[in-house]
Amino acid sequence: MPFTTRIEVLEALTPVFREVLDDSALVLRENMTAADVEGWDSLNHIDLIVAIEKKFKVRFTTSEVTSLKNVGELADLVQTKLATSH
Amino acid sequence: MSYTSVEFLAYLACAAAAYRLCPVRARSTLLLILSYLFYCTWDIRAAGLLAGATLFTFFAGKSVGDRPSHHRAELTAFLVVCLLTAYLMFFKIAAVMPGGEWGRVVMPLGLSYYTFKLIGYLVDIHWGKIQPEQRLVAFAAYVAFFPQIVAGPIQRAGDFLEQVPPDRMSIPDGVLRIAWGIFKKLVIADSLAPGVAYVFAHVKDLHGAALLTGFYLYPLQLYVDFSALTDIAIGTGLLFGIRSPENFNRPFTASSISAYWRRWHMSLTTWLTDYVFTPLRMATRYAGKIGLAFSITVNMVAIGLWHGLTWGYFTFGLVHSFYLIVDALSVKRRARFLSVRPKLDSLASGLGCILTFHMVALALVFFRARSVGDAAWLLSHALSHWSSLGADLLQLAAAAGSHALVVGIAGYAILEIAERRRPDLWWRRTRPVVPRWVRWSVQSAVVTFLCVGVAMLLAQPSGPNQHPFLYAIF
Repeated sequence: MPFTTRIEVLEALTPVFREVLDDSALVLRENMTAADVEGWDSLNHIDLIVAIEKKFKVRFTTSEVTSLKNVGELADLVQTKLATSH
Repeated sequence: MSYTSVEFLAYLACAAAAYRLCPVRARSTLLLILSYLFYCTWDIRAAGLLAGATLFTFFAGKSVGDRPSHHRAELTAFLVVCLLTAYLMFFKIAAVMPGGEWGRVVMPLGLSYYTFKLIGYLVDIHWGKIQPEQRLVAFAAYVAFFPQIVAGPIQRAGDFLEQVPPDRMSIPDGVLRIAWGIFKKLVIADSLAPGVAYVFAHVKDLHGAALLTGFYLYPLQLYVDFSALTDIAIGTGLLFGIRSPENFNRPFTASSISAYWRRWHMSLTTWLTDYVFTPLRMATRYAGKIGLAFSITVNMVAIGLWHGLTWGYFTFGLVHSFYLIVDALSVKRRARFLSVRPKLDSLASGLGCILTFHMVALALVFFRARSVGDAAWLLSHALSHWSSLGADLLQLAAAAGSHALVVGIAGYAILEIAERRRPDLWWRRTRPVVPRWVRWSVQSAVVTFLCVGVAMLLAQPSGPNQHPFLYAIF
Protein backbone atom coordinates (compact mmCIF):
# COMPACT_ATOMS: atom_id res chain seq x y z
CA MET A 1 0.00 0.00 0.00
CA PRO A 2 1.65 3.28 -1.09
CA PHE A 3 0.25 5.62 1.62
CA THR A 4 0.86 4.26 5.08
CA THR A 5 1.09 7.44 7.16
CA ARG A 6 -0.93 10.60 7.47
CA ILE A 7 2.07 12.65 6.28
CA GLU A 8 2.31 10.57 3.11
CA VAL A 9 -1.39 11.08 2.43
CA LEU A 10 -1.00 14.83 3.04
CA GLU A 11 1.90 14.94 0.57
CA ALA A 12 -0.22 13.14 -2.02
CA LEU A 13 -3.18 15.46 -1.34
CA THR A 14 -1.14 18.62 -1.90
CA PRO A 15 -0.98 18.52 -5.74
CA VAL A 16 -4.73 17.76 -5.84
CA PHE A 17 -5.48 20.84 -3.71
CA ARG A 18 -3.09 22.95 -5.80
CA GLU A 19 -4.74 21.87 -9.03
CA VAL A 20 -8.37 22.34 -7.93
CA LEU A 21 -7.79 25.58 -6.01
CA ASP A 22 -5.40 26.89 -8.67
CA ASP A 23 -2.71 27.75 -6.11
CA SER A 24 0.72 26.34 -6.95
CA ALA A 25 2.25 27.58 -3.68
CA LEU A 26 -0.32 25.97 -1.36
CA VAL A 27 1.20 23.99 1.52
CA LEU A 28 -1.22 21.76 3.42
CA ARG A 29 -1.21 21.54 7.21
CA GLU A 30 -3.14 19.05 9.29
CA ASN A 31 -5.16 21.70 11.16
CA MET A 32 -5.93 23.70 8.01
CA THR A 33 -9.60 24.47 7.25
CA ALA A 34 -11.40 26.10 4.31
CA ALA A 35 -11.28 29.39 6.24
CA ASP A 36 -7.45 29.32 6.07
CA VAL A 37 -7.23 28.87 2.29
CA GLU A 38 -8.26 31.64 -0.09
CA GLY A 39 -10.58 30.34 -2.77
CA TRP A 40 -11.62 27.17 -0.90
CA ASP A 41 -15.36 27.43 -0.33
CA SER A 42 -18.52 25.32 -0.40
CA LEU A 43 -18.87 25.88 -4.17
CA ASN A 44 -15.62 24.09 -5.05
CA HIS A 45 -15.35 21.82 -2.01
CA ILE A 46 -17.03 18.90 -3.80
CA ASP A 47 -14.76 19.43 -6.85
CA LEU A 48 -11.92 18.83 -4.44
CA ILE A 49 -13.63 15.70 -3.09
CA VAL A 50 -14.15 14.32 -6.62
CA ALA A 51 -10.48 14.99 -7.50
CA ILE A 52 -9.39 13.16 -4.32
CA GLU A 53 -11.73 10.24 -5.11
CA LYS A 54 -10.14 9.95 -8.57
CA LYS A 55 -6.58 10.27 -7.28
CA PHE A 56 -6.94 7.60 -4.57
CA LYS A 57 -9.66 5.52 -6.29
CA VAL A 58 -11.99 5.71 -3.28
CA ARG A 59 -15.60 6.88 -2.75
CA PHE A 60 -16.88 9.09 0.02
CA THR A 61 -20.39 9.38 1.44
CA THR A 62 -22.20 12.65 2.18
CA SER A 63 -22.03 12.11 5.94
CA GLU A 64 -18.28 11.50 5.74
CA VAL A 65 -17.75 14.67 3.73
CA THR A 66 -19.93 16.86 5.96
CA SER A 67 -18.26 15.56 9.13
CA LEU A 68 -14.73 16.61 8.14
CA LYS A 69 -13.33 19.40 10.31
CA ASN A 70 -9.89 19.96 8.79
CA VAL A 71 -7.32 18.65 6.31
CA GLY A 72 -5.94 16.22 8.91
CA GLU A 73 -9.34 14.53 9.21
CA LEU A 74 -9.56 14.34 5.42
CA ALA A 75 -6.15 12.62 5.34
CA ASP A 76 -7.35 10.20 8.04
CA LEU A 77 -10.48 9.43 6.06
CA VAL A 78 -8.48 8.74 2.90
CA GLN A 79 -6.15 6.49 4.91
CA THR A 80 -9.11 4.57 6.38
CA LYS A 81 -10.69 4.14 2.95
CA LEU A 82 -7.42 2.89 1.48
CA ALA A 83 -6.93 0.45 4.36
CA THR A 84 -10.42 -1.04 3.95
CA SER A 85 -10.19 -1.25 0.18
CA HIS A 86 -7.02 -3.37 0.21
CA MET B 1 -44.16 40.99 22.72
CA SER B 2 -41.74 42.86 20.44
CA TYR B 3 -38.03 42.81 21.23
CA THR B 4 -38.02 46.62 21.27
CA SER B 5 -40.98 46.99 23.64
CA VAL B 6 -40.74 48.10 27.25
CA GLU B 7 -42.70 44.96 28.18
CA PHE B 8 -39.95 42.78 26.71
CA LEU B 9 -37.19 44.66 28.53
CA ALA B 10 -39.13 44.35 31.79
CA TYR B 11 -39.62 40.63 31.13
CA LEU B 12 -35.92 40.31 30.37
CA ALA B 13 -34.89 42.07 33.59
CA CYS B 14 -37.16 39.86 35.74
CA ALA B 15 -36.09 36.71 33.86
CA ALA B 16 -32.37 37.50 34.20
CA ALA B 17 -32.79 38.22 37.94
CA ALA B 18 -34.59 34.88 38.46
CA TYR B 19 -31.92 33.13 36.39
CA ARG B 20 -29.15 34.69 38.46
CA LEU B 21 -30.70 33.35 41.66
CA CYS B 22 -31.44 29.92 40.16
CA PRO B 23 -29.02 27.05 40.91
CA VAL B 24 -27.02 26.08 37.81
CA ARG B 25 -28.50 22.57 37.63
CA ALA B 26 -32.05 23.98 37.40
CA ARG B 27 -31.25 26.60 34.77
CA SER B 28 -32.26 24.44 31.79
CA THR B 29 -35.72 24.05 33.31
CA LEU B 30 -35.97 27.78 34.00
CA LEU B 31 -34.82 28.55 30.45
CA LEU B 32 -37.54 26.27 29.11
CA ILE B 33 -40.22 27.90 31.29
CA LEU B 34 -39.07 31.40 30.30
CA SER B 35 -39.08 30.45 26.62
CA TYR B 36 -42.59 28.99 26.70
CA LEU B 37 -43.92 31.93 28.76
CA PHE B 38 -42.54 34.26 26.09
CA TYR B 39 -44.02 32.11 23.31
CA CYS B 40 -47.43 31.92 25.01
CA THR B 41 -47.70 35.72 24.99
CA TRP B 42 -47.96 35.31 21.23
CA ASP B 43 -50.29 32.29 20.96
CA ILE B 44 -50.88 29.44 23.38
CA ARG B 45 -52.08 27.03 20.64
CA ALA B 46 -48.88 27.60 18.67
CA ALA B 47 -46.96 26.76 21.86
CA GLY B 48 -48.75 23.39 21.81
CA LEU B 49 -47.59 22.79 18.24
CA LEU B 50 -44.04 23.76 19.20
CA ALA B 51 -44.12 21.32 22.12
CA GLY B 52 -45.55 18.57 19.88
CA ALA B 53 -42.89 19.03 17.19
CA THR B 54 -40.20 19.07 19.88
CA LEU B 55 -41.38 15.84 21.53
CA PHE B 56 -41.80 14.11 18.17
CA THR B 57 -38.25 15.02 17.06
CA PHE B 58 -36.74 14.18 20.45
CA PHE B 59 -38.03 10.59 20.35
CA ALA B 60 -37.39 10.27 16.59
CA GLY B 61 -33.79 11.34 17.26
CA LYS B 62 -33.44 8.57 19.84
CA SER B 63 -34.84 6.05 17.39
CA VAL B 64 -32.43 7.14 14.63
CA GLY B 65 -29.50 7.27 17.05
CA ASP B 66 -30.13 3.80 18.46
CA ARG B 67 -29.50 2.44 14.93
CA PRO B 68 -31.32 -0.90 15.16
CA SER B 69 -30.13 -1.29 11.56
CA HIS B 70 -28.61 1.17 9.13
CA HIS B 71 -31.51 0.94 6.66
CA ARG B 72 -34.14 1.34 9.36
CA ALA B 73 -32.33 4.36 10.79
CA GLU B 74 -32.04 5.86 7.32
CA LEU B 75 -35.73 5.27 6.60
CA THR B 76 -36.76 6.76 9.96
CA ALA B 77 -34.56 9.83 9.41
CA PHE B 78 -35.95 10.27 5.90
CA LEU B 79 -39.58 9.98 7.04
CA VAL B 80 -39.11 12.36 9.97
CA VAL B 81 -37.39 14.96 7.78
CA CYS B 82 -40.27 14.62 5.27
CA LEU B 83 -42.86 15.07 8.02
CA LEU B 84 -41.12 18.12 9.47
CA THR B 85 -40.81 19.61 5.99
CA ALA B 86 -44.52 18.91 5.35
CA TYR B 87 -45.36 20.58 8.68
CA LEU B 88 -43.41 23.68 7.58
CA MET B 89 -44.88 23.61 4.07
CA PHE B 90 -48.46 23.34 5.34
CA PHE B 91 -48.22 26.72 7.04
CA LYS B 92 -46.23 28.25 4.17
CA ILE B 93 -48.94 27.14 1.71
CA ALA B 94 -51.72 28.34 4.02
CA ALA B 95 -50.07 31.77 4.17
CA VAL B 96 -50.45 32.28 0.42
CA MET B 97 -53.89 30.68 -0.02
CA PRO B 98 -56.89 32.98 -0.44
CA GLY B 99 -59.20 33.44 2.61
CA GLY B 100 -61.84 30.88 3.62
CA GLU B 101 -60.77 27.93 5.73
CA TRP B 102 -57.11 28.56 4.89
CA GLY B 103 -57.41 32.14 6.06
CA ARG B 104 -57.94 30.93 9.63
CA VAL B 105 -54.59 29.15 9.70
CA VAL B 106 -52.01 31.37 11.38
CA MET B 107 -48.31 30.65 10.91
CA PRO B 108 -46.73 29.83 14.30
CA LEU B 109 -44.13 32.33 15.49
CA GLY B 110 -40.61 31.37 14.41
CA LEU B 111 -41.82 28.28 12.52
CA SER B 112 -39.19 28.54 9.76
CA TYR B 113 -36.44 28.80 12.36
CA TYR B 114 -37.40 26.05 14.76
CA THR B 115 -38.26 23.47 12.07
CA PHE B 116 -34.79 24.02 10.59
CA LYS B 117 -33.31 23.46 14.06
CA LEU B 118 -35.29 20.20 14.37
CA ILE B 119 -34.36 18.94 10.89
CA GLY B 120 -30.68 19.82 11.43
CA TYR B 121 -30.67 17.96 14.78
CA LEU B 122 -32.10 14.82 13.24
CA VAL B 123 -29.78 14.81 10.22
CA ASP B 124 -26.75 15.42 12.45
CA ILE B 125 -27.69 12.32 14.47
CA HIS B 126 -28.17 10.31 11.28
CA TRP B 127 -24.79 11.43 9.96
CA GLY B 128 -23.17 10.54 13.28
CA LYS B 129 -22.08 14.11 14.00
CA ILE B 130 -23.89 14.19 17.35
CA GLN B 131 -25.44 11.69 19.74
CA PRO B 132 -29.18 11.84 20.52
CA GLU B 133 -29.78 14.26 23.40
CA GLN B 134 -30.84 12.40 26.55
CA ARG B 135 -32.10 15.49 28.44
CA LEU B 136 -35.60 16.29 27.16
CA VAL B 137 -35.72 19.59 29.08
CA ALA B 138 -32.40 20.78 27.63
CA PHE B 139 -33.50 19.77 24.12
CA ALA B 140 -36.87 21.52 24.46
CA ALA B 141 -35.06 24.63 25.77
CA TYR B 142 -32.82 24.51 22.67
CA VAL B 143 -35.77 24.39 20.27
CA ALA B 144 -37.85 27.05 22.05
CA PHE B 145 -34.94 29.25 23.24
CA PHE B 146 -36.78 32.56 23.28
CA PRO B 147 -33.96 34.90 22.14
CA GLN B 148 -33.66 32.85 18.92
CA ILE B 149 -37.27 31.79 18.32
CA VAL B 150 -38.45 34.98 16.56
CA ALA B 151 -35.75 35.24 13.88
CA GLY B 152 -32.77 33.02 14.71
CA PRO B 153 -29.83 32.81 14.50
CA ILE B 154 -30.34 29.13 13.64
CA GLN B 155 -27.96 27.55 16.13
CA ARG B 156 -26.87 23.92 15.71
CA ALA B 157 -28.03 21.52 18.42
CA GLY B 158 -24.52 20.37 19.36
CA ASP B 159 -23.29 23.94 19.76
CA PHE B 160 -26.23 24.90 22.03
CA LEU B 161 -26.51 21.75 24.10
CA GLU B 162 -22.85 21.66 25.08
CA GLN B 163 -23.45 25.05 26.78
CA VAL B 164 -26.40 23.75 28.83
CA PRO B 165 -26.79 24.27 31.74
CA PRO B 166 -24.99 27.59 31.47
CA ASP B 167 -22.92 28.43 34.55
CA ARG B 168 -21.91 31.98 33.59
CA MET B 169 -24.04 34.98 32.60
CA SER B 170 -22.35 37.63 30.43
CA ILE B 171 -24.52 40.54 31.59
CA PRO B 172 -22.42 43.62 30.56
CA ASP B 173 -21.70 42.19 27.09
CA GLY B 174 -25.32 41.14 26.69
CA VAL B 175 -26.77 44.50 27.76
CA LEU B 176 -24.46 46.43 25.41
CA ARG B 177 -25.26 44.17 22.47
CA ILE B 178 -29.00 44.55 23.11
CA ALA B 179 -28.64 48.36 23.40
CA TRP B 180 -26.68 48.45 20.14
CA GLY B 181 -29.43 46.42 18.43
CA ILE B 182 -32.20 48.68 19.77
CA PHE B 183 -30.26 51.77 18.62
CA LYS B 184 -29.80 50.32 15.14
CA LYS B 185 -33.46 49.39 14.89
CA LEU B 186 -35.09 52.53 16.29
CA VAL B 187 -32.68 55.19 15.01
CA ILE B 188 -31.46 53.85 11.67
CA ALA B 189 -33.75 51.11 10.33
CA ASP B 190 -37.00 52.82 11.39
CA SER B 191 -35.80 56.11 9.86
CA LEU B 192 -35.21 54.40 6.53
CA ALA B 193 -38.50 52.47 6.74
CA PRO B 194 -41.01 55.21 5.70
CA GLY B 195 -39.05 56.11 2.53
CA VAL B 196 -38.74 52.48 1.47
CA ALA B 197 -42.38 51.72 2.32
CA TYR B 198 -43.55 54.73 0.33
CA VAL B 199 -41.56 53.81 -2.79
CA PHE B 200 -42.63 50.16 -2.81
CA ALA B 201 -46.27 51.07 -2.14
CA HIS B 202 -46.37 53.56 -5.03
CA VAL B 203 -44.02 51.97 -7.56
CA LYS B 204 -46.15 52.77 -10.62
CA ASP B 205 -46.77 56.39 -9.55
CA LEU B 206 -43.08 57.26 -9.20
CA HIS B 207 -40.22 57.96 -11.59
CA GLY B 208 -36.43 57.61 -11.86
CA ALA B 209 -34.84 59.23 -8.82
CA ALA B 210 -37.59 58.27 -6.37
CA LEU B 211 -37.56 54.64 -7.54
CA LEU B 212 -33.78 54.59 -7.42
CA THR B 213 -33.88 55.89 -3.83
CA GLY B 214 -36.02 52.87 -2.90
CA PHE B 215 -33.63 50.61 -4.81
CA TYR B 216 -30.65 51.85 -2.77
CA LEU B 217 -32.31 52.29 0.62
CA TYR B 218 -34.06 48.94 0.92
CA PRO B 219 -30.85 46.83 1.18
CA LEU B 220 -29.60 49.21 3.88
CA GLN B 221 -32.89 49.07 5.79
CA LEU B 222 -33.09 45.27 5.56
CA TYR B 223 -29.52 44.81 6.72
CA VAL B 224 -29.80 47.24 9.65
CA ASP B 225 -33.21 45.93 10.70
CA PHE B 226 -32.29 42.24 10.52
CA SER B 227 -28.82 42.63 12.03
CA ALA B 228 -30.39 44.70 14.86
CA LEU B 229 -32.77 41.82 15.54
CA THR B 230 -29.79 39.45 15.56
CA ASP B 231 -27.88 41.76 17.94
CA ILE B 232 -30.80 41.71 20.37
CA ALA B 233 -31.10 37.92 20.05
CA ILE B 234 -27.37 37.34 20.62
CA GLY B 235 -27.26 39.88 23.48
CA THR B 236 -30.27 38.28 25.16
CA GLY B 237 -28.65 34.86 24.79
CA LEU B 238 -25.53 36.20 26.52
CA LEU B 239 -27.64 37.35 29.49
CA PHE B 240 -28.58 33.70 29.96
CA GLY B 241 -25.07 32.39 29.35
CA ILE B 242 -25.65 31.11 25.79
CA ARG B 243 -23.32 32.13 22.96
CA SER B 244 -25.24 32.20 19.67
CA PRO B 245 -23.70 32.12 16.18
CA GLU B 246 -23.22 35.40 14.33
CA ASN B 247 -25.47 36.12 11.35
CA PHE B 248 -23.67 38.97 9.59
CA ASN B 249 -20.14 40.03 8.79
CA ARG B 250 -20.39 43.42 7.05
CA PRO B 251 -22.07 41.94 3.95
CA PHE B 252 -21.88 45.06 1.79
CA THR B 253 -18.08 45.00 1.88
CA ALA B 254 -18.10 41.69 -0.06
CA SER B 255 -16.32 41.97 -3.41
CA SER B 256 -18.13 39.02 -5.02
CA ILE B 257 -21.56 37.44 -4.75
CA SER B 258 -20.17 34.22 -3.24
CA ALA B 259 -18.34 36.33 -0.61
CA TYR B 260 -21.61 38.18 0.04
CA TRP B 261 -23.41 34.92 0.84
CA ARG B 262 -20.64 34.02 3.28
CA ARG B 263 -21.41 37.28 5.12
CA TRP B 264 -25.22 37.53 4.91
CA HIS B 265 -27.68 35.59 7.13
CA MET B 266 -24.82 33.18 7.80
CA SER B 267 -26.71 30.82 10.10
CA LEU B 268 -29.29 30.14 7.35
CA THR B 269 -26.80 29.92 4.47
CA THR B 270 -24.47 27.53 6.35
CA TRP B 271 -27.53 25.44 7.32
CA LEU B 272 -28.64 25.17 3.68
CA THR B 273 -25.07 24.54 2.53
CA ASP B 274 -24.73 21.62 4.95
CA TYR B 275 -28.17 20.04 4.58
CA VAL B 276 -29.24 20.93 1.02
CA PHE B 277 -26.36 22.08 -1.18
CA THR B 278 -23.66 19.59 -0.10
CA PRO B 279 -25.90 16.45 -0.28
CA LEU B 280 -27.17 17.58 -3.70
CA ARG B 281 -23.66 18.37 -4.87
CA MET B 282 -22.47 14.95 -3.68
CA ALA B 283 -25.33 13.28 -5.58
CA THR B 284 -24.50 15.21 -8.76
CA ARG B 285 -20.74 15.34 -8.37
CA TYR B 286 -19.97 13.35 -11.50
CA ALA B 287 -22.28 15.52 -13.63
CA GLY B 288 -19.67 18.28 -13.93
CA LYS B 289 -20.80 21.87 -14.36
CA ILE B 290 -24.43 20.87 -14.89
CA GLY B 291 -24.41 19.20 -11.47
CA LEU B 292 -22.96 22.36 -9.94
CA ALA B 293 -25.50 24.63 -11.65
CA PHE B 294 -28.38 22.34 -10.61
CA SER B 295 -27.26 22.21 -6.96
CA ILE B 296 -26.79 25.98 -6.79
CA THR B 297 -30.21 26.62 -8.35
CA VAL B 298 -32.06 24.27 -5.98
CA ASN B 299 -30.21 25.72 -2.99
CA MET B 300 -30.85 29.37 -3.87
CA VAL B 301 -34.50 28.80 -4.80
CA ALA B 302 -34.86 26.99 -1.44
CA ILE B 303 -33.40 30.07 0.29
CA GLY B 304 -35.92 32.24 -1.55
CA LEU B 305 -38.93 30.02 -0.84
CA TRP B 306 -37.93 29.59 2.81
CA HIS B 307 -39.17 33.19 3.20
CA GLY B 308 -42.55 32.33 1.67
CA LEU B 309 -44.15 30.65 -1.33
CA THR B 310 -44.44 33.70 -3.59
CA TRP B 311 -43.17 34.43 -7.11
CA GLY B 312 -41.14 37.32 -5.72
CA TYR B 313 -39.13 35.08 -3.35
CA PHE B 314 -38.81 32.47 -6.12
CA THR B 315 -37.43 35.08 -8.54
CA PHE B 316 -35.09 36.36 -5.83
CA GLY B 317 -33.66 32.84 -5.44
CA LEU B 318 -33.44 32.31 -9.19
CA VAL B 319 -31.59 35.61 -9.76
CA HIS B 320 -29.08 34.72 -7.03
CA SER B 321 -28.59 31.23 -8.48
CA PHE B 322 -27.71 32.85 -11.83
CA TYR B 323 -25.23 35.17 -10.08
CA LEU B 324 -23.61 32.30 -8.19
CA ILE B 325 -23.33 30.02 -11.23
CA VAL B 326 -21.56 32.78 -13.19
CA ASP B 327 -19.37 33.47 -10.14
CA ALA B 328 -18.42 29.79 -9.70
CA LEU B 329 -17.69 29.23 -13.38
CA SER B 330 -15.56 32.36 -13.75
CA VAL B 331 -13.69 32.40 -10.44
CA LYS B 332 -10.51 30.72 -11.74
CA ARG B 333 -10.27 32.98 -14.81
CA ARG B 334 -10.75 36.09 -12.70
CA ALA B 335 -8.10 34.94 -10.21
CA ARG B 336 -5.61 34.18 -13.02
CA PHE B 337 -6.30 37.54 -14.69
CA LEU B 338 -5.60 39.39 -11.46
CA SER B 339 -2.62 37.25 -10.46
CA VAL B 340 -0.58 38.63 -13.38
CA ARG B 341 -1.89 42.17 -12.83
CA PRO B 342 -1.37 42.79 -9.09
CA LYS B 343 -1.78 46.56 -9.51
CA LEU B 344 -5.42 46.01 -10.47
CA ASP B 345 -6.16 44.01 -7.31
CA SER B 346 -7.46 46.83 -5.11
CA LEU B 347 -9.32 48.43 -8.03
CA ALA B 348 -11.01 45.09 -8.80
CA SER B 349 -11.88 44.67 -5.14
CA GLY B 350 -13.48 48.13 -4.97
CA LEU B 351 -15.37 47.67 -8.24
CA GLY B 352 -16.37 44.19 -7.06
CA CYS B 353 -17.95 45.70 -3.90
CA ILE B 354 -19.94 48.23 -5.91
CA LEU B 355 -21.07 45.65 -8.48
CA THR B 356 -22.00 43.12 -5.77
CA PHE B 357 -24.08 45.70 -3.89
CA HIS B 358 -26.00 46.53 -7.08
CA MET B 359 -26.58 42.86 -7.87
CA VAL B 360 -27.89 42.29 -4.32
CA ALA B 361 -30.10 45.39 -4.50
CA LEU B 362 -31.55 44.24 -7.83
CA ALA B 363 -32.48 40.81 -6.47
CA LEU B 364 -33.95 42.43 -3.34
CA VAL B 365 -36.38 44.42 -5.48
CA PHE B 366 -38.12 41.11 -6.23
CA PHE B 367 -37.89 40.20 -2.51
CA ARG B 368 -39.54 43.45 -1.38
CA ALA B 369 -41.95 44.48 -4.14
CA ARG B 370 -45.63 43.61 -3.78
CA SER B 371 -45.49 41.63 -7.02
CA VAL B 372 -43.04 40.59 -9.72
CA GLY B 373 -44.83 43.11 -11.99
CA ASP B 374 -44.05 45.92 -9.53
CA ALA B 375 -40.41 44.77 -9.34
CA ALA B 376 -40.07 44.71 -13.13
CA TRP B 377 -41.67 48.16 -13.33
CA LEU B 378 -39.27 49.60 -10.75
CA LEU B 379 -36.22 48.17 -12.50
CA SER B 380 -37.34 49.26 -15.95
CA HIS B 381 -38.29 52.82 -14.88
CA ALA B 382 -35.57 53.60 -12.34
CA LEU B 383 -33.34 55.17 -14.97
CA SER B 384 -35.99 57.22 -16.75
CA HIS B 385 -37.55 60.70 -16.20
CA TRP B 386 -34.35 62.31 -14.91
CA SER B 387 -35.61 65.72 -16.01
CA SER B 388 -37.95 65.71 -12.99
CA LEU B 389 -35.23 64.68 -10.53
CA GLY B 390 -35.81 67.56 -8.08
CA ALA B 391 -39.59 67.23 -8.09
CA ASP B 392 -39.40 63.43 -7.61
CA LEU B 393 -37.07 63.68 -4.64
CA LEU B 394 -39.15 66.46 -3.06
CA GLN B 395 -42.25 64.29 -3.45
CA LEU B 396 -40.48 61.39 -1.74
CA ALA B 397 -39.07 63.60 1.02
CA ALA B 398 -42.52 65.07 1.69
CA ALA B 399 -44.11 61.62 1.87
CA ALA B 400 -41.39 59.84 3.88
CA GLY B 401 -40.09 62.79 5.93
CA SER B 402 -36.82 64.42 4.91
CA HIS B 403 -35.66 64.43 8.53
CA ALA B 404 -36.08 60.65 8.79
CA LEU B 405 -34.26 60.07 5.49
CA VAL B 406 -31.29 62.18 6.58
CA VAL B 407 -31.13 60.50 10.01
CA GLY B 408 -31.38 57.07 8.40
CA ILE B 409 -28.64 57.67 5.83
CA ALA B 410 -26.30 59.44 8.28
CA GLY B 411 -26.99 56.70 10.85
CA TYR B 412 -26.08 54.05 8.31
CA ALA B 413 -22.77 55.81 7.59
CA ILE B 414 -21.99 55.83 11.34
CA LEU B 415 -22.91 52.16 11.55
CA GLU B 416 -20.50 51.24 8.73
CA ILE B 417 -17.67 53.15 10.44
CA ALA B 418 -18.46 51.57 13.82
CA GLU B 419 -18.54 48.06 12.37
CA ARG B 420 -15.25 48.68 10.57
CA ARG B 421 -13.41 50.30 13.49
CA ARG B 422 -15.03 48.24 16.30
CA PRO B 423 -14.62 50.80 19.12
CA ASP B 424 -15.92 48.19 21.60
CA LEU B 425 -12.94 45.90 20.93
CA TRP B 426 -10.53 48.87 21.07
CA TRP B 427 -12.01 49.89 24.45
CA ARG B 428 -11.67 46.37 25.81
CA ARG B 429 -7.94 46.44 25.00
CA THR B 430 -7.43 50.01 26.19
CA ARG B 431 -9.52 50.02 29.38
CA PRO B 432 -6.91 48.48 31.71
CA VAL B 433 -4.26 51.09 30.85
CA VAL B 434 -6.23 54.37 30.87
CA PRO B 435 -6.54 56.61 33.99
CA ARG B 436 -9.53 56.01 36.22
CA TRP B 437 -11.27 59.30 35.27
CA VAL B 438 -11.23 58.29 31.58
CA ARG B 439 -12.74 54.92 32.50
CA TRP B 440 -15.46 56.60 34.52
CA SER B 441 -16.19 59.10 31.74
CA VAL B 442 -16.60 56.40 29.12
CA GLN B 443 -18.69 54.24 31.41
CA SER B 444 -20.91 57.25 32.25
CA ALA B 445 -21.35 57.91 28.53
CA VAL B 446 -22.39 54.28 28.01
CA VAL B 447 -24.91 54.46 30.88
CA THR B 448 -26.29 57.72 29.42
CA PHE B 449 -26.57 56.01 26.03
CA LEU B 450 -28.54 53.17 27.65
CA CYS B 451 -30.85 55.61 29.48
CA VAL B 452 -31.51 57.51 26.25
CA GLY B 453 -32.28 54.17 24.61
CA VAL B 454 -34.86 53.27 27.28
CA ALA B 455 -36.36 56.79 26.97
CA MET B 456 -36.64 56.29 23.20
CA LEU B 457 -38.38 52.99 23.77
CA LEU B 458 -40.91 54.69 26.02
CA ALA B 459 -41.44 57.48 23.49
CA GLN B 460 -41.71 55.33 20.37
CA PRO B 461 -44.99 55.28 18.51
CA SER B 462 -47.28 52.33 19.04
CA GLY B 463 -49.87 50.63 16.88
CA PRO B 464 -49.81 51.24 13.14
CA ASN B 465 -46.94 53.75 13.36
CA GLN B 466 -44.59 51.15 14.78
CA HIS B 467 -42.32 49.35 12.32
CA PRO B 468 -42.14 45.64 13.12
CA PHE B 469 -38.89 43.77 12.51
CA LEU B 470 -38.74 42.73 8.85
CA TYR B 471 -37.46 39.22 9.59
CA ALA B 472 -39.84 38.48 12.46
CA ILE B 473 -42.53 37.25 10.04
CA PHE B 474 -40.84 34.08 8.85
